[in-house]
Order: sequence, then structure tokens, then C-alpha cells
Amino acid sequence: MQTLIQTFMERRGDLLTALWQHLGISIAALVIAMIIAIPLAIWAVRRPKMAEGLLQLTSVLQTIPSLALLGLLIPLVGIGTVPAVIALIIYALLPIFQNTYLGISEIDDSIEEAADAFGMSRMRKLFKVEFPIALPQIISGIRTALVLIIGTATLAALIGAGGLGTFIMLGIDRNNTSLLLIGAISSALLAIVLSALVRWFQTAKPKQALTVFAVIVALLGSGGAYSAYANRTETITIAGKLGSEPEILINMYKDLIEASDAHVKVALKPNFGKTTFLFSALKHNQIDIYPEFTGSVLETLVKGNNPKSMTAVETYHLAKQRLAKQDEMSLLKPMAYNNTYALAVTKKFKQEHQLETISDLTQVDSLLKPGMTLEFIDRDDGLKGLKKAYGLDVTAKSMEPALRYEAISKGRINLVDAYSTDSELRQYHLAILKDNKHFFPTYQGAPLMTTAFANKHPKVVQSLNKLAGKISETDMQEMNYEVNVKNKSAATVAHNYLIKHGLLEGSN
Amino acid sequence: MTTAIEFKHVKKDFHGTNVIPDLNLSVKKGELFVLVGTSGSGKTTSLKMINRLEPLTAGEILVNDRDTTTVPVRDLRWDMGYVLQQIALFPTMTVAQNIAVIPEMKGTPKKEIAKTIDELLTEVGLDPEVYRNRMPDELSGGEQQRIGILRAIASKPSIVLMDEPFSALDPLSRQQLQDLVLTLHQRYGNTIVFVTHDMSEALKLGDRIGIMRHGDLLQVDTPSAIAQHPVNDFVRDFFGASRAKNVYDIYVGRVGLVQGYLKEKPAVADNRIQTLDTEDTLRTGFEALANHDYLAITDDKVVQGYLDRQTVMAYLSMHENG
Repeated sequence: MQTLIQTFMERRGDLLTALWQHLGISIAALVIAMIIAIPLAIWAVRRPKMAEGLLQLTSVLQTIPSLALLGLLIPLVGIGTVPAVIALIIYALLPIFQNTYLGISEIDDSIEEAADAFGMSRMRKLFKVEFPIALPQIISGIRTALVLIIGTATLAALIGAGGLGTFIMLGIDRNNTSLLLIGAISSALLAIVLSALVRWFQTAKPKQALTVFAVIVALLGSGGAYSAYANRTETITIAGKLGSEPEILINMYKDLIEASDAHVKVALKPNFGKTTFLFSALKHNQIDIYPEFTGSVLETLVKGNNPKSMTAVETYHLAKQRLAKQDEMSLLKPMAYNNTYALAVTKKFKQEHQLETISDLTQVDSLLKPGMTLEFIDRDDGLKGLKKAYGLDVTAKSMEPALRYEAISKGRINLVDAYSTDSELRQYHLAILKDNKHFFPTYQGAPLMTTAFANKHPKVVQSLNKLAGKISETDMQEMNYEVNVKNKSAATVAHNYLIKHGLLEGSN
Repeated sequence: MTTAIEFKHVKKDFHGTNVIPDLNLSVKKGELFVLVGTSGSGKTTSLKMINRLEPLTAGEILVNDRDTTTVPVRDLRWDMGYVLQQIALFPTMTVAQNIAVIPEMKGTPKKEIAKTIDELLTEVGLDPEVYRNRMPDELSGGEQQRIGILRAIASKPSIVLMDEPFSALDPLSRQQLQDLVLTLHQRYGNTIVFVTHDMSEALKLGDRIGIMRHGDLLQVDTPSAIAQHPVNDFVRDFFGASRAKNVYDIYVGRVGLVQGYLKEKPAVADNRIQTLDTEDTLRTGFEALANHDYLAITDDKVVQGYLDRQTVMAYLSMHENG
């Protein structure tokens, strides 16, 4: 509870932004869904066969899993708010359409007959008679849609539209229950409050309802106007993958770029998505820069066979060359640390047996009790290949990623696989053994951007190059530890590093 | 008297089945015309063809000498009140808003509408202060149909169509509303076409009655003419079926209708004449005749005519014969 409150206090600025985004996406989707579904339902009332078809169609749309729907939309409309809103509209169609249709078609025939007999025009009948009678049912459809939208909108974070889902995603990624709870509770509360508001609209006097509606629209509008105003200087958008490490890096990018040019604003989109997703966003100019790893470039982003056992420098050059050629992109100079697979032991175990490299492990074969992730055990570039390359004779227990750290700290196992910059290494006092045979591919982080952008912004390139060769693995572990375990903000951690290492002047 | 509504060789099919083969009928201006018949006789269909809720299959209907299909349907309906069996007040509108439906569409000034509403409510015995802002579901069935009638006549249409308006009401409300229809008809002099399956209602209300069966109009005449000279057995039976099971429960007014009243006041002392209402029963009539020679039958205090013992006996014998 205490950590929950503490996290809340630390994050309330972010929470407000996320809440605002969430509200904006949800209300936009709801209003558009209403604009589509209500007239469509009215049109369909006189055409029962058509209505049947439309009901089927909207039901089918609703059964598409939301993740799949988002995935389908990306190649069509890209990423960000647009696909998120489209997906939400698609989900909201059924309840609004169905309730409007049923609400109107279930009106007593005699009432319809009376309206006709008094010579009401189609429109007048609709607005004076049918709509008011069907209103309670239409409103309840809107409420259902609203709750659905607010819940589903948490997935918007997956495609870079922000919102409360960012908290949930971050919470899952960092194994931070407080963040997860804040995201989940806020979205639930938002659904309850808005649903009550919609119900109030139904009973409120028209004037009051209109006033409140106007205020809400004005608030959202001024929010939009403000962000447009804030964007009037040039804005560079930098995104990062899920996790604390990319978030720290992009905060460093932001500090460095803004320090060198007062007219440039940097907008950050942390936890924007996974590798291919970010890459396609960059390709479509939806973002300008994101930090990528040399190893990932070769493995998933570019075509071509990869020679085995490359040094870090060789890996970088090959990645850079292929990116430039195949995608007209520029991968700037990498930082020092290598975020790759690694084997780790406790510091104590390392000292007792004087271990430095993975080769040294062959001396203590019989003492080893490895616990590793199933994925690592099974991969050719994981334990399988490693045993061959180093002549190591061990059998590993497969364990959940989070459990293996717990197990090694309790002494039940004494060798684990890890990513070399995991904050847990710092948290559980573990040490990495050197990959002296260069078995693991190199994953060095470097800013990635289109070549066109790089040519147009030499100052930005210059600023980002200040990070080249900086940040060691222990630096990164330490910073990840501060964000993930100590709950410091990525911006603060990034800023402190830059100051400490003289990359940024002064302290502000 | 000119013609308000005229059916000329009107034919109506429903899904290929003929329900009305050839209907010819004139309703005079200012007349309260009752169409009576069993269910499925085509009386409601005939009514709905007048305001074009049902299209004609063939033939034509003239309203005020104009073919209804040549008049814009809106204009036709705005000058034609309509009262439904299901009442069908608009549930989301107040009493006042319901009554204002047609005047509002016609663009009558708001003040004038408000004044009309208050006048009409007062006229049907509902206090405007109390009822103006009530919702339909806060009214009894009888009150609802009063509003239904007011809604139909609010813009003073020259013609009012009523489709079994009282068949869903309790007997007391029904009687009150029948009286109300007569009063309003007298006041506004409009033409009313009233559909019912209840012969007593037809006899009470109609200036003329049209009896329908299987889409045919069997007889059109005044109540007493129908009562005295039914055109065939069906009409006689239909008329007979409307009589009470027990002869003592028959209204004395019915006797006068069938047998005809003595129009002249009998030349006897006033204490030999007992005054009764048309809706007093024969039971009361027999008791009265034990001590009096004549009955003066009044409706709303107006003497309709006189009955003597022979007339009552003649009626009785006809009734006994079926």
C-alpha cells in the first residue's frame, strides 16, 4: 500500500497526462461511433433484412481480438492515435447500433400509427416521438460502449497512442505491481465516472446537459489547442522500446538535443512497442529517432547472412552498412555497453573459485547448478551452442525468468542466464562472466534515424554522438536498478548520468 | 347538407385477398357517422383509408370533394383528427405537449396553443393546473382517452376519425366519454366517423349508422330506422345481440328507439306521467307503469318522447320472439 501511494505521488504528473490521452482517445472513439451507428440504425429500422445483416456484421467485428485488430490496422493506417481510435470505434459499433435499432423498432405500432395519422414528417416523428422513447435504451447502449472503450483503450499503449495502458504495460514489463494497479484502477474509475455521467445526461434537464457537454468539449478542445501551441517550435519525436533502459536512453537523447538547440523540442514516446513495430514507425516517419541494438538490426531488421563470431566493431559496421543500403537509415555510433545474453554467478561464488571468463567454468563443471530460462536452454545461440563452443558439460533446470534470480539468491542454483544490463544483476549482487570466445552476438545500443533526417539535422547527430563509447554495462545495470527497483524517474536518472560524466553542463 | 367524405367503388386487398369488394358511402358534413360491425368486417380498414393510413386498391375517396390522393397527405391529416383504440399518447410528452402536437406543426403561436390546451382540459373536466404537466402514465385509462380526443380536436379539424376509441375502457368511463363525444360534436359541429363493434354504442352516438359485414355495407340509416326496419336477419340479430340478456335490464330508451315514441304529450294529468332517463331500465319502467299511464323519456333532461303501456308490451313481445 505504502509503495502504491509513493508510486502514485511520484507519477501523478504522468498519470494526469495518461488519463488525458485515455479520455481523449475514448471520447473521440465514442462520439465517432455514435455518429456512425445511430444514423445507421435509424436507416436500418425500415429495412429489417439489412438490419439483420448489419447486426451480424457488427457482432463479427466485435469478436476480432483487440490485439489482432490493432495488428491489422498498422499496415493500413500506421501507429499512434488513429489506429487506436479506429479499433475502439469498431468495438463500440455493436452496442450502440443494436440498442438504437431495437429501441426504435420495438416502439408500439399504435404510437407510430398515431404519429403518422397526425401528419408528422419522417424527421419530426424521429426526433419528437421515436428518439425520446428509445432514448433510455440508446443511452444504455452508449454506456456499454463507453465501458468497453475505456477498458480496451488500455491496449492503445501497445501502438504508441499512450493512455493509461502505458502504466499497465510498464507495470508488467518492470514487474511493478504499483504501476500496474494505478493504471488498472484509474481506467476502472474513469469508466465508472463517465458511465455515471452518461446516465446523468439521460435524466438531466436539456440545458444542464448541454452546458456540461459544452464544458467537456471545451476542455478537450483547449487541451488540443494547448498541445498545438506547445508544438509550434520544431518537435523531434523520439520513441523507445518497452522497458526502463530505452526510456533512460531517450531521456538522455532529449537532454542532449535540447541543450544544443533551444529551438528544438523533443517529444518522448517511451514504451512505444517492440522492435519491428518501432522500425516500421521510423520508416513511415511517425517517429524520428529510436535507440536500436546492433545485434537486433542484423537479426531481425535487415536481410543477409551473418558471419559467426564477429567482434563488436564488425557487428556495428555490418549493421550500419546494411541499414544504409537497404533502408536508407543511419545508425549512429554505439555506446560502450553490450546488452546481450550473459552467464552470471554470485560475486561470492566468483571470488571463491576465481572465475573471470566462461572458459573458467569448465574447471568447476561438477559444482555447477544452473537454472535458466527455457528459451535460453533451447536456443542454438543459447546454452546448446554455448556448451559446444566452450566444451562445457552442464544440465540446466528450466525456470521462469523472475524465479531464477530468487533461486540464485537463496543458493538453490549458482549459475543463471541474464541480459548483461539487467538491474537484477545489481539487485542480487551477481557478476557476469566474460564471453572470451565471442560466442554471444553483440548488442550495442545506438541511435537510429533515417538518413534524410540525419542529413537535415547535423546538430542532432552531433549531440547524440556524444554518447558514443559511453555507458558501461555496470553503469547501465546501476541506472536500470535505480529506475526499476528504486522507482526513480528515468528522466532524473538519465540527467544525473549526463551531469556526472560531463556530457551536460551545469545542473538545472 | 353537403358531403364531407365520399367512398366511390372503393376496393381493398390485403396480400392478394380481397377484404372490401366495392364500398360506396357518403358521410354528410357535420354528421356523427358510426360504422359498426363484427371484427374482420372491414370497418377499421375503411376508416384508415380515409386518412390514407391504408392505401386503396381501387376506387377513390373524396374528402370535401377532393380525391384524397391528390391532396398532400400532410394537409389531409392535419385537418383530420384521429383517435385510436390503443389511445397511444406519446409517452415522453406531457399532457399539454400531447395536445399541442398538431397545432405546433401547423405553426400556431405558443400562447394561443397554451390557451387552447387550458380551455380544452377545462371542457373535459380536467383541471389544467393539475393535469397540464402530467405524463400519460400518470393518468387513468379514461383520462388518457380524454387527452387522446383533445389531441385529435386541438386544431379544430373539420373531420375526426375514431377507431373503437372506448373498447378498452371500463363501462363507466366508456359512458362518460360517449357523452363527451356527443357534447364536443354538438359544440364544434365537426364531422365524426366513429368505428365500433358495440351496437348500443352505435345506437347511442350515431346520427346515422352503417352496418358492415365481410367488407360489405349492409345498411346505412338512422338508428331508429335500422331498429324498426332491419334490412336482413344479420342486421336484426346484430341489433338484437346488443340487447341485454335480461329484459328487465334493457334501457327504456331502447324501447322508444325500436317502437317509436309518442311525440305528442298525452292529454292526461301530469301526475299520470312518470319521467325517466333513457338509461333507466325496463325494471324501473314497469314499476312506474304500475302507478302511471305514461312514461316521459328524457336524455339530459330533454324529453325525447313518451311511452304508454301498449308500446312497452309490443316491444316486449318482439323481444320474446327473438
